[in-house]
Amino acid sequence: MKAQETIIRRFTHGSAGLRGLQILTLMLLCWLAQLLTSHLQWPIPGSLVGLFVLWLLLNRKVLPAAWVEDGANDLLNHLMLFFVPAMLALVDRPELLSMLGVKLLIAVLISTLAVMCGTACVVEIGFRLKHD
Amino acid sequence: MTDLGKGIFWCVCTLVIYLSARKLHQRYGRWWSSPMLLTWLSCGLLICSLHRSYAEYLIGTHWMIWLLGPATVAFAIPIHRQQDLIRKHWILLCVGVSVGSLLAFASSWGLASIFHFSPEMRASLLPRSITTPLAMEASVRLGGVPELTAIFTAITGLFGAAVGESLLYYLPIRSSFARGALFGMGAHGAGVARAREISHEEGAIASLIMILAGLLNVIVAGVLSSL
Repeated sequence: MKAQETIIRRFTHGSAGLRGLQILTLMLLCWLAQLLTSHLQWPIPGSLVGLFVLWLLLNRKVLPAAWVEDGANDLLNHLMLFFVPAMLALVDRPELLSMLGVKLLIAVLISTLAVMCGTACVVEIGFRLKHD
Repeated sequence: MTDLGKGIFWCVCTLVIYLSARKLHQRYGRWWSSPMLLTWLSCGLLICSLHRSYAEYLIGTHWMIWLLGPATVAFAIPIHRQQDLIRKHWILLCVGVSVGSLLAFASSWGLASIFHFSPEMRASLLPRSITTPLAMEASVRLGGVPELTAIFTAITGLFGAAVGESLLYYLPIRSSFARGALFGMGAHGAGVARAREISHEEGAIASLIMILAGLLNVIVAGVLSSL
């Protein structure tokens, strides 16, 4: 019984190979969308067009969500790994480890506080107007 | 070492550090144990202490940056899964995302003027409240440096997720919707992870707000750049 469950789970949740295939599908979709946007010289990035196309396919039930879901979640779970190499450009910009860097840090922190407080308060007011 | 050797070395280093940092984060779960922060600092220290260049580091890790595109496509899954929430609360979502994005742009612009940052630096600061892959795309279109935007965005997420709960304590907020909006708009990915710890509902709202804000910002930046 337990072995049977494992087999079923393997088919529904996808093995590593299946997830890899799903990630490849997403890569292919992104690449095609990037070709399209650069060919037509659209101002929005290809990955965004890929997102809309995938959403449309899922929404119109052309593509069952289960076919790409596990691979997509893998990519999103490890998203932070993918931009660490970009963040390491700091190594090439030692000027940021100075007064300029401190000023930038202060600007980022103040602006973040403003965005969080402002957004939360406006949404809360909107929520109360709608539900009270 | 050949280029291939260098590439493999940096790739393996980054992956090993990242996976160990994830283990550490599972154990401590605090802002300073964030795998992104630990991997960033450790790899940075390693490059500097071995007297290596950023260009050499990129040989082995450039494929990670390339995966940001497919990861953006993957955002279609959470949008698809939360369609009921969008249908039910689309007005509030639009209000939250627009107000949040406006606040982020206005406050960054204002502070950049006060501190006399260069136009390039200012443009890199503008999109830092949205999720990193989209922030980098928006940054290119606004005339910024995507790598700098990645750094500002990461600091925003770390700080926002760390102070979010204290803010909730002081702000007069009762609805789970506003709590989710605070985390999703203010601290993108890191905020969504923190919101999920409060409850499933906050997490879903935070993740939707984060993705929608990202889409809005990139489209606006793209249209602005093509004018």
